[in-house]
Amino acid sequence: MTAQRLPTDWKSDAMRKRIARRYGAERRFKLAGLAAVALSAAFLAFLLFTMMGNGLRGFTRTEIALTVDFPASPLLLDPNAITDEALANANLPMVTGEVAKKALGGDADALLSPTAWISIRDAIKADPKILSRTETIRVPASTAIDLAAKSKGSPEAEAEVARLKQQGVLSTGINWNFLTASDGTDPTQVGIWGAFKGSLLTMLVTLLLSFPVGVATALYLEEYAPKAWWTDIIEVSINNLAAVPSIIFGLLGLSIFLNFLHLPRSAALIGGMTLALMTMPVIVIAGRNAIKAVPPSIRDAALGIGASPVQVVFQHVLPLALPGILTGTIIGMARALGETAPLLMIGMRAFIATPPGGITDPATVLPVQIFLWSDEVSKGFVEKTSAAIIVLLVFLLAMNGLAIYLRNKFETRW
Amino acid sequence: MTGPAILLLLAGLGAIAWVSARARALRLQTVARATGRRDAVHSLPGYHGWYVALWTLIPAGLFLAVWANVSPGLVTQAVLADPAAQSLPLDAFSRSAVLGEARAIATGLQSGAFNPASQALVEPYSAALNTYGVAGAVLALILAFAGGAYAFTRVRPDFRARTRVERLVMATLLVASLLAIVTTLGIVASLLWESFRFFSMVNPIDFLFGLKWSPQSAAMGYGNDDAFGAVPLFWGTIFIGAIIAMIVAIPLGLMSAVYLTQYASSTVRKWMKPILEVLAGVPTVVYGYFAALTVAPALRDLAVSVGIHGASSESALAAGLVMGVMIIPFVSSMADDSIAAVPQSMRDGSLAMGATTSETITRVLIPAALPGVVGGVLLAVSRAIGETMIVVMAAGLAANMTANPFASVTTVTTQIVQLLTGDQEFDSAKTLAAFALGLVLFIVTLLLNIVALRVVKKYREAYE
Repeated sequence: MTAQRLPTDWKSDAMRKRIARRYGAERRFKLAGLAAVALSAAFLAFLLFTMMGNGLRGFTRTEIALTVDFPASPLLLDPNAITDEALANANLPMVTGEVAKKALGGDADALLSPTAWISIRDAIKADPKILSRTETIRVPASTAIDLAAKSKGSPEAEAEVARLKQQGVLSTGINWNFLTASDGTDPTQVGIWGAFKGSLLTMLVTLLLSFPVGVATALYLEEYAPKAWWTDIIEVSINNLAAVPSIIFGLLGLSIFLNFLHLPRSAALIGGMTLALMTMPVIVIAGRNAIKAVPPSIRDAALGIGASPVQVVFQHVLPLALPGILTGTIIGMARALGETAPLLMIGMRAFIATPPGGITDPATVLPVQIFLWSDEVSKGFVEKTSAAIIVLLVFLLAMNGLAIYLRNKFETRW
Repeated sequence: MTGPAILLLLAGLGAIAWVSARARALRLQTVARATGRRDAVHSLPGYHGWYVALWTLIPAGLFLAVWANVSPGLVTQAVLADPAAQSLPLDAFSRSAVLGEARAIATGLQSGAFNPASQALVEPYSAALNTYGVAGAVLALILAFAGGAYAFTRVRPDFRARTRVERLVMATLLVASLLAIVTTLGIVASLLWESFRFFSMVNPIDFLFGLKWSPQSAAMGYGNDDAFGAVPLFWGTIFIGAIIAMIVAIPLGLMSAVYLTQYASSTVRKWMKPILEVLAGVPTVVYGYFAALTVAPALRDLAVSVGIHGASSESALAAGLVMGVMIIPFVSSMADDSIAAVPQSMRDGSLAMGATTSETITRVLIPAALPGVVGGVLLAVSRAIGETMIVVMAAGLAANMTANPFASVTTVTTQIVQLLTGDQEFDSAKTLAAFALGLVLFIVTLLLNIVALRVVKKYREAYE
């Protein structure tokens, strides 16, 4: 005798509970997914927010209006003969200190930045006539005062700030120095121009080396390479190079470029060469994908009317694949721009206070500068580091934006 | 004559060769066509131009490259043969110092000599430099003219200039693609060579299985024997990169991929995907700074407030957490690819049986996509253990063997940076150890990549 199977009673309590449980699980799962996405995005937002919060202050500086009574000051300068040499011999740093003591009172040396005298020098240079009258000049405040005025400093500094505010001499100005100066020892005097120029030179070397080689390799592998064991080796090498940790490239640069070929240490040339080795596989892989996307009918048509294989590639395939190749190149260059580890290996972490003049001069780059500043003990470097990070992120964003724009504008769907 | 001037002159000659050869080819072809021999014309005039220009430039350029390497030796020989060189000190080191100073003065890099012996050599030095410089320039120009003239005589309508030029183009492309092999060989050779020197000082067994890492004590002369045990570094690397970072990255990356591909509306997907990818584009030095400045102190305070002992401000957890966040888009895009590769029919089948979306995902899609996901995770691990800046800035230098995430551990990459950016005496075991660590890192990441790619490939084939 066979038991007759009853249809499931979906309305029963057990079944309702079961369905409710399953739907609850469904909702929870969906929420978990949403939470994962939100958490990742929140982390990014938190990171950017922290950097902005710290870094935007790095673009401003606290200034103290210093009233200088030039005729009464111990400054020995002839208003009619202001030369760089005369200014250099006038012992401005000391004079500035004395003037500040008289004007502000208290421990004036602790109030002004060690570079305050430069503002006075520039003011004299701009208008020598001020030497015969009393003039109010804005000079940068010291790190302690700067920190206390912007957010939170030591109790003594806070007290000084309160006193200066009462005198009405404190103001906030844009720190142009941060964009035009190089590395220094005091947070009030540092700037990113030196590192930025180093980055530009390094990127130039990287681009000039990796772009032609990368495109040539992509063309060869995609269009001409015969199927043979040695072309397989090339392919495997390129795929592996794309996955090798960047620090290994630094070790290669150190042992081959520096110790074997004796190229100049810390130079943009070496940095560029090392990064070019890293960027080349990225360009090759992007280039091959772009070349692969050009439909065979284009090649067949060109061959059919008598073009040679080289003409087909250089006059038809390459121009059509170029937007894709350029997008890949920009993304690769953006990666190289943010790269730090291999450049530490080849000595680009030296303290360099002058911008490099050429690709063989000692240089540093933006990410390495960020790393160096992050190691500084002085609290004033926190906002400078974050400000440098903002500059770096803005450039990376611009490059990636350009890549996306290029892709959208020139991308052809065949 | 200076180098840039010669190069400019050569470039000018090349341009003249291109223009004149092209003009000649054009004329000859017009004549040939006018006489009705159309089939006799092979290459376009431009190719003849390139052919002659290349013949003008390449032999002379090659000669200059060789000459730039040979002539300093010849100049030195000429100077040594000079009577003024008889008084040079005999030992090689001070001799080369004097010669170097004389050369610097003769080329104008330096204005005066510290050593009177160098001052005496300046005169013969500049004479020799001048002689060989002029000789090199003249020879290069002769080669350029000879090459150009030879090629120019071959410009005829039936000459296959295009074939020749294209052969050179192909050779250039081939050489460019061989550079990838050269780079790989360069990496392997330099790592192997320096590691070999290291292992001649330190026993490889001690290095790979030793439990004590203190290169500083070895540098101070306490012997190499038990100072280079790398196991604490391997543990730290695995702890941060393969355990903590993956605990963060795998759930978040996988769930993000699932949500964005299965649940999210197309608008959400369009916006959230690039935002997640920004996480991968942020430079690692920024993550490192963030970890060291914000995350690490917060975690230490948290640990202290709940009473965990040994909490360090350079905790493994801070580095691992931030590294995990950096890896999220990587895991998510790999998972995305593998889930997309699961055939639609499997999904439809499951849904048709009455399974909810989440049941379909967890019981059908993810098991089917598992090999791809695992491959992606392996790639992510290989990336995490090779990551440098986050651990350099946020993890410590103390080589501890601890499973306490709030304690400080150190990693392979941190130590490579630490060993190579201090004082540089290149032959000490301390600096060479960095290359041995680099070799281990290279081999491990290579193996992880090979295994991961194989897993992914096998799985792709299963559904094709």
